[in-house]
Amino acid sequence: MTIETIMLIVGFLMILTGCYCLIRSYHMLKIIIGIEISMKAGTMFLIFAGYMNGHMGLAQAYVITAIVLEVVVAVVLAGVTIGLYHKYGNMDIRNLTQLKG
Amino acid sequence: METIIYISLAFLLSFCIMAVMSRSILKSAIYLAAASAALGVVMFLLGAKWASVFEVSVCSGLVTVIFISAISLSNMKIEDVHKLYDDKKRMAYLPYVLLFGGFTMITFVLTKDINLTVVAQSTMEDFQNIFWNTRMADILGQITAILIGGIAVIVLLKEGAK
Repeated sequence: MTIETIMLIVGFLMILTGCYCLIRSYHMLKIIIGIEISMKAGTMFLIFAGYMNGHMGLAQAYVITAIVLEVVVAVVLAGVTIGLYHKYGNMDIRNLTQLKG
Repeated sequence: METIIYISLAFLLSFCIMAVMSRSILKSAIYLAAASAALGVVMFLLGAKWASVFEVSVCSGLVTVIFISAISLSNMKIEDVHKLYDDKKRMAYLPYVLLFGGFTMITFVLTKDINLTVVAQSTMEDFQNIFWNTRMADILGQITAILIGGIAVIVLLKEGAK
């Protein structure tokens, strides 16, 4: 088994870990961590694709865009989490179902 | 070099699993930062030097600071946190899911005889040229996303303060 195949398997397992966290956790920050883990696997696949095709410069440009978007998503969701905490006193995602309008 | 990539990949996956399975959210944030650092090492060894610098500085640094800032606002007792979220019980099946997923993936790779090989050696592309000229629209998109993120945080925190 080559290193490329192992990277593919590790990326797949990382996406699985992130999705499991998204499905099973009720803590809002834990859910953000799940999203971050899945996005990390995505950035790893982009670099992997650039390495395989020999276009590492283009892959790096895409990865930097992905990293910026990852940070923006984390910041906005952290803001939502803080708003949730101020309103309900905890960071439980189930409280979001009580929102109306 | 390959040995270091193997070790970094092992650390990367381990830290991701520990970040999800940890009962303490602060430890989870620290494990996520360690996973970002491991991914940065993998990227650097594959030749993506600029991306690895961004990964380590932004994902391992800035995102961890954001998480710790959000955690520091919470003042719930640790017993109440464990009782409310019940993460120990809810995350207990992750190793079995990963074992099943890994076994399925390895079986798929071996039976389908998937043999990934590098089709072209990495060319000496000028990253700065690609980033500033070819992908100019990406930079504009990034600036817009950062502005929207900043405005969203201001609005959300303002609403939270009421």
